Amino acid sequence: MALNKVGDPIIRVDRLYKTFPNGVNALVNFSGHVHRGEVVVIIGPSGAGKSTFLRCLNGLEEIDSGTIVIDGIPLDEKKKNRLEIRKEVGMVFQQFNLFPHMTVLDNVNLAQIRVRHKSREEATQTSMELLNKVDIADKAAAFPDQLSGGQQQRVAIARALAMMPKVMLFDEATSALDPEMIGEVLDVMKNLAREGMTMVCVTHEMGFAREVSDRVIFMEKGTIVEMGTAEHFFENPAEERTRLFLSQIL
Amino acid sequence: MHTSAGRSAVLKRLYRSPLADIFQFVILVLLVIWFFARSTENLGYDWQWGRIPPFLFSFDENGLTWGPLMQGLMVTFKISGISLVLAFTIGLTTALFRVSGSFVARAIAHVYLETSRNTPLLIQLFFIYFVVGPVIGLDRFTSAVLALSLFEGAYASEIFRAGIVSISRGQREAGYSLGLSTLDAYRFIIMPQAIRRVVPPLTSQAISLIKDSALVSTIAIYDLTMQAQTLIAETFLTFELWFTVGAMYLFVTTILSLLVNHLEKRFKVSA
Repeated sequence: MALNKVGDPIIRVDRLYKTFPNGVNALVNFSGHVHRGEVVVIIGPSGAGKSTFLRCLNGLEEIDSGTIVIDGIPLDEKKKNRLEIRKEVGMVFQQFNLFPHMTVLDNVNLAQIRVRHKSREEATQTSMELLNKVDIADKAAAFPDQLSGGQQQRVAIARALAMMPKVMLFDEATSALDPEMIGEVLDVMKNLAREGMTMVCVTHEMGFAREVSDRVIFMEKGTIVEMGTAEHFFENPAEERTRLFLSQIL
Repeated sequence: MHTSAGRSAVLKRLYRSPLADIFQFVILVLLVIWFFARSTENLGYDWQWGRIPPFLFSFDENGLTWGPLMQGLMVTFKISGISLVLAFTIGLTTALFRVSGSFVARAIAHVYLETSRNTPLLIQLFFIYFVVGPVIGLDRFTSAVLALSLFEGAYASEIFRAGIVSISRGQREAGYSLGLSTLDAYRFIIMPQAIRRVVPPLTSQAISLIKDSALVSTIAIYDLTMQAQTLIAETFLTFELWFTVGAMYLFVTTILSLLVNHLEKRFKVSA
């Protein structure tokens, strides 16, 4: 893969297996790397294991076997490693999951103060810069339920960025939004990609995948069916299954 | 058609005016008075309300002196107040044990909850005062506080647990994904939201505790109920005293309810 802007592998996963208690195989022999600065988009039908894969990367789901190493830290039984990895890996959820009892500013401040041990003043300074970046600084004193879905999701992105993560995971970040708000969130994500953030995005936004992704992974039944550059992927998919999926969604 | 519509509009306005409220209230009061007058008549009881005030307070050359009922009320306050704090602490701890990952913690919490909730408070009180008390040297008052706290704490724990599990998984995951420890996730994300949700049932539990504290009279603690019983034995003013005591409990618990309502409105945050 000729990806000149990307560096060494920051995420390495090897032979991941995960089966849910109900017997569904979420991940089957899943291996791959994500390079520093790379934007990887994962697509696939629902139930393919896309979200599960993301959630395994920061330890929200436990894997049955296999290895995950992020920025040199193995994600294993050790609680300490899991906390270390979570500091370096930001996550944005489909349902935003802002803390409803805190103001926008406090949402973004919390982890900086509790995890990075910054003073309130330092944290607030960083938070305001980030809120400016996602264009919502004027709502710093508002509570989440006073914001639109798009605004909430932009705050959620700022909240994740406040930890200065090395990797950002986006789990269907625009799927719960009204159509007219998808654009504002995608714009923030595109800017982030342009700044060189390493991103792994589960999304149904093919326009986004085409425009900013370095690599597209098509997943089904817990495993990778096909993987390639966005161009290769959309213009000339090799696998019959991929073609069928693309014909259904495009 | 036109006239009937006009008439109904007039009725509607009349019905919504404050006059209608006052009218309804007066009717209610008259009904209650009539009911009591009838039942008193049937009872053939010689009411002597005039003898009650000195049991509450009296004025003499030394100034104001609290009567036995007010002294009893103070004891009830003291027992209820301490038990309330303890019961909520025990309840919160038990709830956290029950949602924890540790099998031992869950088992302890479960056994405590089931034994405490499924046996009568009176028997627990006797058990702690007569069986446990002498062994570890608990006095009357401590036994009473302990029994009340353990009993009400069991109910409070289920209320807290309901609040904790009502917070969506996404909240916890958002906290964890930011690198927060489990303790911090509970402290800053889950508990502040959970506690706001359970304030109404916790208030009910606090009110129950105040009323249940009447049972401490059975181990001869001179709380409000015990004072009343003693006075009744001396004066035979059975109904006057019990109604007065009932009104005193009602007064205290109503104040508590109003206070919580007020606090709830002040700290209202949508969840």
